[in-house]
Amino acid sequence: MNKFKIYEVLKYIPKEIKTIIENLSPSLLESMEEIRLRQGGPLILYGGGKEYILDGHGRLVFDARNAYVCTTEDIKNAISLVTNFSIYSFEDEIRNGFVTIDGGHRVGICGKVVLENGRIRTLRDISFINYRVARQVLGAADKVLNYIVNSNNSIYNTLIISPPQCGKTTILRDMIRQISSGIETMGLKGKKVGLIDERSEIAACNLGLPKNNVGIRTDVLDGCPKAEGILIMIRSMSPEILATDEIGRSEDAGAILDAINAGVKIITTIHGSDIEDFLRKPALEKLHKNLFERYIIMSRRHGVGTIESILDSNYKSIKSNFAKEKTL
Amino acid sequence: MMLKVIGGLLILAACGLMGIAAANKYSQRPKDIRRFRASIQMLETEIIYGCTPLPQAFHNIANKVEGTLKSFYHFISEDLSVGFSYSMVAAWSKGLEKLVCDTSLTSSDKELIDNFGKVLGSSDREDQKKHFELFYIQLKQNEEQAEEARKKNEKMYKSLGFLSGIVIFILLV
Repeated sequence: MNKFKIYEVLKYIPKEIKTIIENLSPSLLESMEEIRLRQGGPLILYGGGKEYILDGHGRLVFDARNAYVCTTEDIKNAISLVTNFSIYSFEDEIRNGFVTIDGGHRVGICGKVVLENGRIRTLRDISFINYRVARQVLGAADKVLNYIVNSNNSIYNTLIISPPQCGKTTILRDMIRQISSGIETMGLKGKKVGLIDERSEIAACNLGLPKNNVGIRTDVLDGCPKAEGILIMIRSMSPEILATDEIGRSEDAGAILDAINAGVKIITTIHGSDIEDFLRKPALEKLHKNLFERYIIMSRRHGVGTIESILDSNYKSIKSNFAKEKTL
Repeated sequence: MMLKVIGGLLILAACGLMGIAAANKYSQRPKDIRRFRASIQMLETEIIYGCTPLPQAFHNIANKVEGTLKSFYHFISEDLSVGFSYSMVAAWSKGLEKLVCDTSLTSSDKELIDNFGKVLGSSDREDQKKHFELFYIQLKQNEEQAEEARKKNEKMYKSLGFLSGIVIFILLV
């Protein structure tokens, strides 16, 4: 199923470049994780931790000077395709620097920022585009679930700390799926999960329906800001567990505090490479006081999805010898 | 005598109708422009207030309008959703080509509409609104021109047809 994810992304790539990429052998093509277009720069793909530079016929080249150079037209068409020919209906997404396309794949964009009263109004002259292929890996969370399920048929408040591109969303998604459907081997009954999917990345909803498997007891609030979403969920859907991705603002912290005080368990993620990074974020100060009972620290030392260590609420390591064990 | 009168009247009617047909070309263009502008106003509403993506917006408009415009919007919407042209500009131009064939729009109207297709959907809402306003002004100019041409030529062709009928009638009688 994951093999074909790349074809969902190809639909949003301008014709010219699509033909080039399609010349790759299917096995190589299917392993791609990132496709990068830079105006006036070479066409570069990333997959399996390796970099691939392509020329105009889809052949791999070593020297970037021989590579296919992305034209202004390519970038324009790419933006047009990604935004469904309607930039105006993606204003918020563009302001945030990325658009989520069908299948939950994320397309990052960079360009000239236009400010208004010190706030970002829009991005103009977009010249850098990064297609990121999102993959659902069933069983990605198997290694860590043991540590977040507790003895009284519930789970711990969990925070996943990981740098970008290490598979934290993948792990979160699989955790949600397993906890929501129930884990027989651990004797965990399925829980009602409220998923606030601000960027449509976790459930990859299309017209409100999740395209990824997020479990049978999961309600998804698609495209909703986290802080508001958490409150809506608590009020309306009586979740036992709330899940959300990439918290960072102080409103998020407040809402999570409310949720925990309401007796709801939280699973969430944050950008960072160790527990110190989390403790250094002033916006999340409210959450520093031992609120989370499990911290999962990830990296890509042994490839995407490496679990560095798992900490308890006092930041003491419960398990850290995940050496060479890969979850993805 | 009776037969002569009937024959003469028939000639008169035929010539008059020919004149009207020729005049119709001129009277149709302002109507076509006006109709097109009304549909673009619907498009503006879809974009500015509904924030609807273009393929869906075109589809919605195709459901609301009739005739040649319906097939125009339907065509573009299909083209964009299937991803046949891979570009809004190409789809718009292709659709426009057909629209111009089926209506009385002239090449100057076509150029104007074609240029509008290049900016449609390519910027944020505020900017789109400005483009729409500019487009209305330009369309208005074309409409006024068409209206003037209509006034000048419509009557002329109509009376020309009728008068030539009378001339033939007199000559024959």
